[in-house]
Amino acid sequence: MSADGNAQNADKGTSHEIVRELFARFGESPFVAQSTVDRMPTLWVEQSRIGEVLRYLKNTIARPYKMLYDLTAVDERLRKNRFGLPPSDFTIVYQLLSIERNSDIRLKVALTGDYPSIPSIVGIYQNANWYEREVWDLFGITFNGHPNLQRIMLPRTWQGHPLRKEYPARATEFDPFALTVAKQDMEQEALRFNPEEWGMKRGTAEEDFMFLNLGPNHPSAHGAFRLVLQLDGEEIVDCVPDIGYHHRGAEKMGERQSWHTYIPYTDRIDYLGGVMNNLPYILAVEKLAGIQVPDRVKTIRVMLCEFFRITSHLLYYGTYCQDVGAMSPVFFMFVDRQKAYDVIEAITGFRMHPAWFRIGGVAHDLPQGWDRLVRDFVEYLPKRLDEYQKAALENSILKMRSRGVAKYNTADALEWGVTGAGLRATGSDYDLRKARPYSGYENFDFEVPTATGGDVYDRCVVRVEEMRQSIRIIKQCLENMPAGPYKADHPLTCPPPKERTLQDIETLITHFLGVSWGPVMPAGESSQMIEATKGINSYYLTSDGSTMSYRTHIRTPSFAHLQQIPSVIKGSMIPDLIAYIASIDFVMADVDR
Amino acid sequence: MEYTLTRIDTDGPRYPQEQREPARDPMEDQMHRSIFLGKLEDMLKGTVNWGRKNSIWPYNFGLSCCYVEMATAFTPTHDLARFGSEVIRASPRQADVIVIAGTCFQKMAPVVQRLYEQMLEPKWVISMGSCANSGGMYDIYSVVQGVDKFLPVDVYIPGCPPRPEAFLQGLMLLQDAIGKERRPLSWVVGDQGVYKANMPSQRDKHREERMAVTKLRTPDSV
Repeated sequence: MSADGNAQNADKGTSHEIVRELFARFGESPFVAQSTVDRMPTLWVEQSRIGEVLRYLKNTIARPYKMLYDLTAVDERLRKNRFGLPPSDFTIVYQLLSIERNSDIRLKVALTGDYPSIPSIVGIYQNANWYEREVWDLFGITFNGHPNLQRIMLPRTWQGHPLRKEYPARATEFDPFALTVAKQDMEQEALRFNPEEWGMKRGTAEEDFMFLNLGPNHPSAHGAFRLVLQLDGEEIVDCVPDIGYHHRGAEKMGERQSWHTYIPYTDRIDYLGGVMNNLPYILAVEKLAGIQVPDRVKTIRVMLCEFFRITSHLLYYGTYCQDVGAMSPVFFMFVDRQKAYDVIEAITGFRMHPAWFRIGGVAHDLPQGWDRLVRDFVEYLPKRLDEYQKAALENSILKMRSRGVAKYNTADALEWGVTGAGLRATGSDYDLRKARPYSGYENFDFEVPTATGGDVYDRCVVRVEEMRQSIRIIKQCLENMPAGPYKADHPLTCPPPKERTLQDIETLITHFLGVSWGPVMPAGESSQMIEATKGINSYYLTSDGSTMSYRTHIRTPSFAHLQQIPSVIKGSMIPDLIAYIASIDFVMADVDR
Repeated sequence: MEYTLTRIDTDGPRYPQEQREPARDPMEDQMHRSIFLGKLEDMLKGTVNWGRKNSIWPYNFGLSCCYVEMATAFTPTHDLARFGSEVIRASPRQADVIVIAGTCFQKMAPVVQRLYEQMLEPKWVISMGSCANSGGMYDIYSVVQGVDKFLPVDVYIPGCPPRPEAFLQGLMLLQDAIGKERRPLSWVVGDQGVYKANMPSQRDKHREERMAVTKLRTPDSV
């Protein structure tokens, strides 16, 4: 099993450095320590002290936790295995990240009552804004003092809060959907933008502002994404991103699929990332199960993930060029994507969403002849990338169009929870594959590309260089693919190893239950962060000792990246916004889940 | 061939605002009345349909994963230009077909409906991928279980997501269907309903051939 950055040897996690520091500052009484299988320091904090503790962690402590990495909630009302945790109906979970410490801390606050409330932390961490709106939308928990606590995922006309346990999951449990003329009018009216609601003025003494709707369907918005721009001429005074047009309820889905049958849903979160999405989920489940996978599995997984990093970055590269005005590169890059898909398809049997990783292994062994295909590809692509370097990146028009546009620095990036190439373009070299190697990345020789400008152009440069590094990693996989099984020999591996079945009635029953109901994961909490195509992606799983997850939370990078848009783009022109959107690299499924 | 007559019903309480009834090919009746005029109309309609089906301009509209595969079909390896459909239009007013490529959400449905209304007749709808066809694997509170709950779909493309080749096939099936359509030649000439041929199900058509396959390639070699 890969070493977790927080690996410590304590049971309750109280030997973590940060926990000792907190105890020294606040005493032990406001806290209850919880042990989790991911060994992340996890503390329950008294509701009245949480603001104080967060402020201390962000501003006062040495080597601070500058990033609010995640904020979510858990409906605990039906949870059975709570192991002496503080009583709670709903738990708010804050997860902070410190780059300087290369470490996280998870803070939890217990809330009681059916529709509880808690003070907002938008005053401490700005990016808590959307996270709190999401928790309000999906759980019905009120955040007092939030600047605009509105629904974010679901339409404003929605009734109920879907992630509460009493809310039905399936669309087929409700009346069939029908779009009546009256409903159409009502929904369209609800979509009308009201500037006052967002604290915007309709004009000044001299001029009126124009409000422009960009989206929910716009050719350069990269999906069902809506931005409302407040314009003074062509200059953007302010803007409001509106998301939720792609909310597929992936987290609720986790509560009704078995651990195994949830894998295909992960593929469709960042739908350009393919099996890369399986990885954090599978690794988190394997931590729960206590499975150690063979080296061959780790290497196969790394190789496939890097293939998808390349296909995703190629699409980014092409659409980026197109959005800043270069029409041809995208056509060449899609041809290269086809070549990559040919290899992926030969190995996994599918193109975009192979759902090919399994709990404790991968679906098949590598097919005979895989090495020839992979070799052809790694020899083919670098030459093409060199051509694009000349045709696109060194093109003076493209440079002039994108240099110095939509700049932000590392501090801003951390404040908004920005990870991935968007962070590394500001000079930080934080890449989880290096900082906290997982799935055997510690065995590979590669560099973390960075840039210092923090602008649109640099974000593209970093990704292009990342593709070259991915090719380097794939080459190493090709030359050093370990022999051995493609599945772990463990009772919770799913599907179970075939040679362990059909021996006698016992093995037959175990196998039957394993493939029909699915494996039962031990109760506990687990998470895994990975460096995905678009930034840091992680799954936070709570098992209640059943065949299904009690709560699946997915932290996606694109959600954070879109929330940052207004702070970066204020004062720029509309074409700069288009270039900026192109440089973020997001897909809406990765935002809304 | 059996036809379905579709008439707009602006008073309909829900979308699609239309009424459908089974019909026979209207050209047959015309032939029985006057050979000359029937032939003339047949030729005119044939010419118009030929033009329409070979220049179906798609609307630049995508919802999720399927759109990536749809976009792949526009690029050189698949080259949609062979079918006259490479001209993506950014405005619904210039587009002939809207491909619902991806999951249709309850929050998005009113927007999709508005965009569809902004398209001009004649217009067609392709539902691409399992989500648009039926909700697919997303039987979940936020997802409309099939875009045909409010749009009149002409062709369904199965797959999650369908390959670009499947999209090309879907487009060709739509071309076949358009070739058999009987639409009024003008808004002042003739009957204003739209007669669409009931195209055979591809599943039924290929069933025997598919069932006859007994040997499948193993996944053990490339």
